[in-house]
Amino acid sequence: MSDALRAGGVEIDDTFAEAFPMKATRLLITAHTMTWARHAAVAATGFATSVIGCGCEAGIEAELSPAQTPDGRPGLSVLLFAMSGKELIKQIERRVGQCVLTCPTTAVFAGIDPGPAVAGDDDRPPEGVLPGLGWPGTGRGDAVALGKNLRFFGDGWQQSKLINGRRYWRIPVMDGEFLAQETTAVVKAVGGGNLLLLARDTDSALAVAEAAVAAMRRLPGVVMPFPGGVVRSGSKVGSKYAALSASTNGAFCPGLLGLVPHSELTADTRCVLEIVIDGLTEADVAQAMRVGMQAAINIGLSGGLQRISAGNYGGKLGPYHFHLRKILAGGAA
Amino acid sequence: MTGWTLTLRQPPTLRLCLRGITPNALALLDATQVAALPLGHGNSLLPLGAFFNISPRSDDGLLLQGDLSRCDRVGWQLDGGQLTVRGPVGHHAGGAMRAGTLTIHGHAGDLAACEMAGGALTIYGNVGDFAAASLPGSMDGMRGGVLRVQGNAGARFADRMRRGTALVLGDAGDFLASRLVAGTVAVAGRVGAHVGYGMRRGSLVLLHAPAVPATFVPAGADAPVLWQLLARDLARLGDLGTAGGTASWSSSPPSNASFNPFCGLAQRRIQRCLGDLAADGKGEIILPC
Repeated sequence: MSDALRAGGVEIDDTFAEAFPMKATRLLITAHTMTWARHAAVAATGFATSVIGCGCEAGIEAELSPAQTPDGRPGLSVLLFAMSGKELIKQIERRVGQCVLTCPTTAVFAGIDPGPAVAGDDDRPPEGVLPGLGWPGTGRGDAVALGKNLRFFGDGWQQSKLINGRRYWRIPVMDGEFLAQETTAVVKAVGGGNLLLLARDTDSALAVAEAAVAAMRRLPGVVMPFPGGVVRSGSKVGSKYAALSASTNGAFCPGLLGLVPHSELTADTRCVLEIVIDGLTEADVAQAMRVGMQAAINIGLSGGLQRISAGNYGGKLGPYHFHLRKILAGGAA
Repeated sequence: MTGWTLTLRQPPTLRLCLRGITPNALALLDATQVAALPLGHGNSLLPLGAFFNISPRSDDGLLLQGDLSRCDRVGWQLDGGQLTVRGPVGHHAGGAMRAGTLTIHGHAGDLAACEMAGGALTIYGNVGDFAAASLPGSMDGMRGGVLRVQGNAGARFADRMRRGTALVLGDAGDFLASRLVAGTVAVAGRVGAHVGYGMRRGSLVLLHAPAVPATFVPAGADAPVLWQLLARDLARLGDLGTAGGTASWSSSPPSNASFNPFCGLAQRRIQRCLGDLAADGKGEIILPC
C-alpha cells in the first residue's frame, strides 16, 4: 500500500490485477424456451471455474432475446476460456457434446464469426459478431470444430446444410433434430482480471460482491467463472508442497493475520472475497473491473467495504496489468 | 481498371460466343485491344468490334446492351467483378462462374448457371431448360453461389445440383431438382411433374404444394431450427429489389422486382416429405402451410 486513495470512504490500493493471455470462444445456445436454453448453458459451463483443475473457465455471458439469435428462439451466449487453443477445442467438444446435444430442443451456434464455410462464398459484414447481437466485434478468429465432429453421433443420418456461407449439421435425435454450426471461432482473450474486496464481516463482503457481480454481468464480453461470480479461495503461485502449483493466498486470509510473515490485512478486516474476470479483450476486462469497483464503492464504507485490492504476482504471471486507480479514473489499464 | 459498355449493333446472323468477355479480362485493356478480342461466330473468329460499339465507363463494371439472345456464354467462368446485361441472352449464361455478380435484365436460354460454383446470378426474366444443372456428361450441376430467377424456369431446373441456393420466383417445369445431390432449391410458383425425381439429399422449398411423388414419405419430426435459418435466408435472397450487392447503375431492378414471395416464410409452419426413397432418401421437400 502507498498513498491512500479513497472513494466513498473505501480505500483503493495502489496496485494492479495481473492477467494473462487465454484462448476463448463464444457459443450461442438456443432452445424452445429460455428454461431449456438455460439448462444447457448452465450444464455446459459447469465445473469450469479455474483452468487449474477444470481445463477451462466458462460462464454465461448474457440472455438473448429471440431477435438476437440466429434461429429466432430464446437463448444464451456463453464464453469459454482455456490456456491453449488445443485445450479449448477439447473442452468445446466435450461440453457441447455432453451438455447441449443432450438437452431437449437445443441448438448451438458460433457467437464469433469463424469465416466462410466455403472459400469465397461470403457476403457477410466483416465484423466478427453475428448481426443482431449489437455487441462490438472482436474480429474473426480461427475456425475450430463445433458440430463438425459431433455430427458422427448421427450414425450416417446426419446432414449438412450450407446457409449464407455457414455450414450447419443436422443430427437426428429423439425429439427431432439437433442443429449445430460446423465451426466456431477461437480468439485471443484475457483471463485472470480480479478484484479483492476487503470487508469488515461476511455479510457485508457478500453484499458487496453480489452487487459488483450483478453490475459486471450486464456487460458483454466477460464472464466471472466462479460460483456466483465470487471466489473465496484466492491463491498464490506455488506451495510448500512440491506437487502443488498454487496454494492459499495467506496474505489475504484473516485467519492468518499475525501468523504469516506478511499480511495485507488489518485486524478489523474479517472477510475478503475475490471476483475473477475473464474477457474477450483487455478493454472488456478493464471495463468490467471499473463497473464492479463502482458498484462496490456505491455500497461503500457504510456498507462494510473497507478496501479494494487486486491480486498480482509482481508482474511474473502475465502481461496484462490492470491498475485499480487508473481504471477507476476512467483510463486504460 | 476501366469498365466498358458494349452495345450490340444488331443480332448476329449466327450464334456468337462471348466466352472470355468478363470485367476482369477487359479491365486492363484499351479500346483498341477490346475491339480486337476474338469472338466465336459460327465456325469462325471475328473481332468484338465487328459486333459491338465500345465505350468506356467511369467505373469497373461491364455492361452489355442489346438483343443478345443469340449470344451464348455470357459471363462464362466469371471470376469476379460486376457484369450486367440489359437485354435477353442466349445459352450457358453464367455457366461455371466462380465469383462476382452477373445481372441479366432479360430472359436467358438453356443451361444458365450450369456448373456455377460461386458468385451471384440474378435473372430478371425466364430461363430455359437445365438451369443450374450440369453440362452434358458431367456428374455435378451447380455447386455454389446463388441463382435467382424472377420469371419462370424450364424443365430440369437444378438437375444434379450439388451445392448453393437456386430460387425461382415464378413457375418451374418438369423434373424440378431431379437427381439433386444437395443444396437448396426454392420455387414460389407452380411446378411441373416429377418433382425431386431421384433426389439424394438437399432441400426443395415449394410455396405451391404439388402432388408429392409416391417415393417420398411424410417426415415424422419437425425441423423448426433449420426452417428458421432457411426461411430467413430465402427471404433475404428473394428480395430482388435490394439484394445482390451490386452498384446502383447496373443493378437497378425492374419496377416489378419489389415483390418477394419468400418474405414472411419464417412465420409459417411447414410440412416435410423425405425422399426420394428410390435414390438415397435423405432429401426433403418443404411445404410451407
